[in-house]
Amino acid sequence: MAEMVREGLVEQVREEGLRLPQPSWELVLRRNSIERLKLEKHPLDIRSELPELIAKGYEAVPEEDIVRLNWWGVTHDKPKVGTFMVRVKIPGGLVTPAQLAALARISREYGRGYAELTTRQGIQLHWVRLEALPEVLEAVEAAGLSTAGGEGDTVRNITSCPVAGIDPAELFDVRPVVEAAARFFYGNRDYSNLPRKHKYTISACPAQCNAPEIHDVALVGAVKDGRPGFALRVGGGLSATPRISRDIGVFIPLEPVEGVIEVLRAVTDVWQEDLRYRVSRAKARIKFMLDDYGPEGFRRLLENRLGVCLEDFTCPPPVGRADHLGLHPQRQEGYFYLGVPVPAGRASADQLEGLAEVVGEIGGDVRFTREQNFIVGWVPEERVSWLEEALRRLGLDPERNPLYGTSTACTSHQFCNYSVAETKEKLEEILAELEERFGTQLEGLTLYVDGCPHACAHHWVGEIGLQGTTTTEAATGRRVEAYNVALGGGLGTRAAIGRVVLKRVPSGEVGEAVSRLVGAWLEARKVRGSHYSFQDFCRERTDEELQALALGRVAAEGRGAGVVLRIFGPFLELAGGADHLELEGGTVREVLEAARRTYPALVEAILTPEGQVSTAANIYLGEEDIRSLQGLETPVRPGQEVVVLPAMSGG
Amino acid sequence: MRERVVFDDLEIGEIALELDDKEPQEVVAWALETFGDRVAVVTALQAEGMAVLDMAYRILPQVQVITVDTGRLPQATYAFLDQVRERYPEATFRVLFPDYREVEKMVARHGVNLFYRSVDLRLLCCHIRKVRPLVRALEGLDGWFTGLRREQWASRAAIRKVELDHDHGGIVKVNPLADWTKQEVWEYLEANGVPHHPLYDRGYSSIGCDPCTRPIQPGEDDRAGRWWWEVNAPKECGIHCPIETGGFEHEVEAILGRGA
Repeated sequence: MAEMVREGLVEQVREEGLRLPQPSWELVLRRNSIERLKLEKHPLDIRSELPELIAKGYEAVPEEDIVRLNWWGVTHDKPKVGTFMVRVKIPGGLVTPAQLAALARISREYGRGYAELTTRQGIQLHWVRLEALPEVLEAVEAAGLSTAGGEGDTVRNITSCPVAGIDPAELFDVRPVVEAAARFFYGNRDYSNLPRKHKYTISACPAQCNAPEIHDVALVGAVKDGRPGFALRVGGGLSATPRISRDIGVFIPLEPVEGVIEVLRAVTDVWQEDLRYRVSRAKARIKFMLDDYGPEGFRRLLENRLGVCLEDFTCPPPVGRADHLGLHPQRQEGYFYLGVPVPAGRASADQLEGLAEVVGEIGGDVRFTREQNFIVGWVPEERVSWLEEALRRLGLDPERNPLYGTSTACTSHQFCNYSVAETKEKLEEILAELEERFGTQLEGLTLYVDGCPHACAHHWVGEIGLQGTTTTEAATGRRVEAYNVALGGGLGTRAAIGRVVLKRVPSGEVGEAVSRLVGAWLEARKVRGSHYSFQDFCRERTDEELQALALGRVAAEGRGAGVVLRIFGPFLELAGGADHLELEGGTVREVLEAARRTYPALVEAILTPEGQVSTAANIYLGEEDIRSLQGLETPVRPGQEVVVLPAMSGG
Repeated sequence: MRERVVFDDLEIGEIALELDDKEPQEVVAWALETFGDRVAVVTALQAEGMAVLDMAYRILPQVQVITVDTGRLPQATYAFLDQVRERYPEATFRVLFPDYREVEKMVARHGVNLFYRSVDLRLLCCHIRKVRPLVRALEGLDGWFTGLRREQWASRAAIRKVELDHDHGGIVKVNPLADWTKQEVWEYLEANGVPHHPLYDRGYSSIGCDPCTRPIQPGEDDRAGRWWWEVNAPKECGIHCPIETGGFEHEVEAILGRGA
């Protein structure tokens, strides 16, 4: 099989010594059927065979060719009876009104008037029939957009800060780099047979709103000694093996732009030429290369490939708020941008067309965001209220609860063959419930819902992340949809992978569980102040405490492993809304000291600094006031209840 | 029985990385060690399933083996099942049968050979006779072995050797043969004297219910061997392990409705 080795992928020889042991192409081709599929016929070539496939009919099209169609952004809808999803790439999420109008028309004519904004700032259509694909792809291209590499082993849509070029806080205008990269990589055959999908993000947003932590390759805008340029992070990604990207420790000057593209090519080349990442698709992403080589080893390969040493640099931390929702003045005097929440990222052709029209009317543009919303750019000051009113008429209310803007959901089981539970519908249901109960207090809370571990909606980095699964309903024995709940994830200044705290919560109960947690957080926030995030709330609590709060049950019940500290009245707020805590300790004092570790404010209110019972509290063991027992030294056993009541008359 | 062993996606994701370049036997050993009697080999006695069964038996002879008697199997399969039991005498065999009330209701409404009449009815028949008994059995387990291989179906080429099966309550699905070729499976059977289903020798490429399976000619597509009369069947329901991938249930729900 040696003769099958592709040209251009054999330049590893001079890197000997830097590389880990390499498998042979023979092994790659034996173990990985997709490598065989790509070698037999380049997936991009399937485009020219579309007329033949259409003549043959959907049913007769071999699955291998359907997989090749992925390279044109096309994949089966569910059920697999002949309609497809078409994913349009939009570099940086930036579209003109004319492009938006074209997308609206394509959606109406071929996609039942429906469209989804994606977490890669692109747009997806569904319901497209095989025979319509040639026209649809041409129509997308006629609008100056592309589907090439929308899926498959390619450079996927390149994301950026949606307000690039207009944000007063940006370090520099990054659009020329995004555009140059898209021009170079989209549909480029040298970068369309990668080991696996490959996601770039490039921005100069100081808040790093574009999630560089979870990208394969991220150019993070920075300024070094007065020169604009980028730090480089590599190897982030989610799915069931999430990784936060690693800082490679280098600086790449903004000028010349060709030099930046050169670095991107080299990053991708050192990965795509390493056969270790072609043997198994389960270990093919560049994040696993970073696992193996570390950032230093990767940097050596990169510099060797470039033939130069890069400047040392440390990736700057993100600063400020990242969602760009609401109305903000632009860098350009007299103009504003307006970020509008879109529930679950769903839009109709009518809405897109209407949006194109009103934005065209004011001479603006539209920018899709990572959290499945859009921003209207270049709104002249005097047209702001006109625009807001026009958007409201389209059902795109800019004043909608901001929670709708900080929540995402994947394509959902209606269309996706991986998803096992509804996501967009479930998200909207939960949002409606949260809004009804808590109004607008939830600004900034992130809630991401996915139907499978692949995490298209980024649930691992949501403060609340739901992932679809199934369970058996106890009463009926029926298989029902359910969700695993991960808590405390985040991006930017709060980057973290969420902890899976609840497993297999039936669909009918998950909304209530989320509401309880959110309610408890809001109670705690009253005490801790407005900066106290849901993530903070989760970090301060054990899995067991969060489970008890979410399920509304007494932690001690059925376990009996600890002493229950029960609290009432004003003390409730000091315990983050929990009306009881399960703690370890052999005496009342030890139990309170155990509580102090999690809720210092609570125990400060119960005990004086000298360690005596405060005049504000009465403490009972069961029915007995501990003053009639041995005071704070009264012994307690697991399963017993220590009750703290506020002293009504000041004791 | 031991206590339930429950993993989350993050845990199993990292274990899958560890196991990804391990031999099938090592993957089988990991699962048996982890789950003991709470993992079962689920097999229709095809070549892959027999290889997994043999590997498991060498480590844990009492291993649980689950197969479904749909009521419509070829005579050769019943004969082979006996042969397999003799070969693996210590294994715990469970032969599942569909719920007779469901079968009777279906037959009363649509006749006994409903599958020839439409894709929907064929899916209904598969669902009642094969999938539902299997799903009921999985509910009592923490893990199950499949014979899935990545090269069997292009859109499933990224399956992991262990993964959470979110179609079946989030238990662990163990795919020890994920990166093997068909040839490697048959070489294993031969080298280890593992019996194979006799219908393979008569030109069958996949073995299922008697009315729905037939031999194929050399060079003919595997698809010609199953439900060859159907037009407009959903893709991936035609051949290869749709239940193991979860694909079958997705299609059934989408086509027959959620109440199916």
